[in-house]
Amino acid sequence: MTTGISLVRENTASMQPPRALWVPFPLGRPLGKAGDANFQHQVIQHGLELLSRGEGPVLEDFPLDVPRIDHDVVQACSVSFPPKQANKGGWEARLLGEFNLLEPWYQLSLRRRKGRTLVGIAPEPPEENLKQLAAHLDAANLPQTIAWLKPATDDLKALYIEAMTAQPGQYDDAEITRQFWQETELGAALIVIYEHFQNAEAGHLKLFARILAPREAVGRATGINGEDHA
Amino acid sequence: MVRLSDLPEYEREHLLAKSLPPLGPPVWVTIQKPLSEMRVALITTAGLHYRDDSAFAFADATFRPIDNEEDAGDLVMSHSSVNFDRTSFAEDVNIVFPLDRFKELEAQGKVGSLAAVHYSFMGAGLPPAAYEQGAAQVAGMLKQDKVDAVFLTPV
Repeated sequence: MTTGISLVRENTASMQPPRALWVPFPLGRPLGKAGDANFQHQVIQHGLELLSRGEGPVLEDFPLDVPRIDHDVVQACSVSFPPKQANKGGWEARLLGEFNLLEPWYQLSLRRRKGRTLVGIAPEPPEENLKQLAAHLDAANLPQTIAWLKPATDDLKALYIEAMTAQPGQYDDAEITRQFWQETELGAALIVIYEHFQNAEAGHLKLFARILAPREAVGRATGINGEDHA
Repeated sequence: MVRLSDLPEYEREHLLAKSLPPLGPPVWVTIQKPLSEMRVALITTAGLHYRDDSAFAFADATFRPIDNEEDAGDLVMSHSSVNFDRTSFAEDVNIVFPLDRFKELEAQGKVGSLAAVHYSFMGAGLPPAAYEQGAAQVAGMLKQDKVDAVFLTPV
């Protein structure tokens, strides 16, 4: 028998799994709040209670909302990014300069998180992947496949997020995301590649664009409505 | 808090397009014993795996085993979608894959035992039918492990 969590109520209502608990939390956070074991246990308890229901399908709503972010105590991004230097010094200089700025914060994150990191999907280390990414951009010879690009950029994005949230405290996920896409050279680099894929003739490249950057983030960073990037 | 009505229209339409009909005839199993005597497994569609496992590809219906005895804090994520936040997962694996919480329930005697192996799929880019073979394999292995119930988490 199964029970579990639903993040998109409409999908679950349509597909009718035997037992599901809908939670009103953002995508990416099915248990509600990181580091809050008591809150996570409440979600799990409600989900497990569905096992005892006598008939189904069962789709119940979790009664609590995700704990609100207290903006009075929210932690600011650990890193202060200088203004982006569009077209100054080439991508390699800009991206490696930013990497050097982030590196001590990433090391702090490793210590605070007791070695836990999401970096390590790609076989090459992040700095090497950053150099390859910069070489592609500086030569205007952008990647045509995602076999290397996806794990390489997954690692780089993880390193940035962990460095930006290195200090202990509560973070506003949306603000960290905004800063990544609007204030960092890596965010700008990924948007260049996104637009290259998005404007390509081949349909599969348009799909690749979608796994590089959220449409909403691209829209905000470029001033173009996300719907234009469908 | 995010509900569909809070999302941009294109994102809302993208998610609503996944509201497919039921996969087959209704399936229902009535509880046979208390949770404190059940063996429970976790299955996630968050694209989690250990570093020495191969990462999930762009569209990938395969699955990865997650040993109950290994540290879930070492799991990484190679999910294809960029339309959800990873900041919370970077902070706490349990926000997506609550294995530590279930180990606490087991230690408290509220759950009988945990499966020897849990499983991770990567839910993106493919229709549900593409996962049928892998899901059947996992179901067979869960039966061999005498698992009574599965707790499913999306991302």
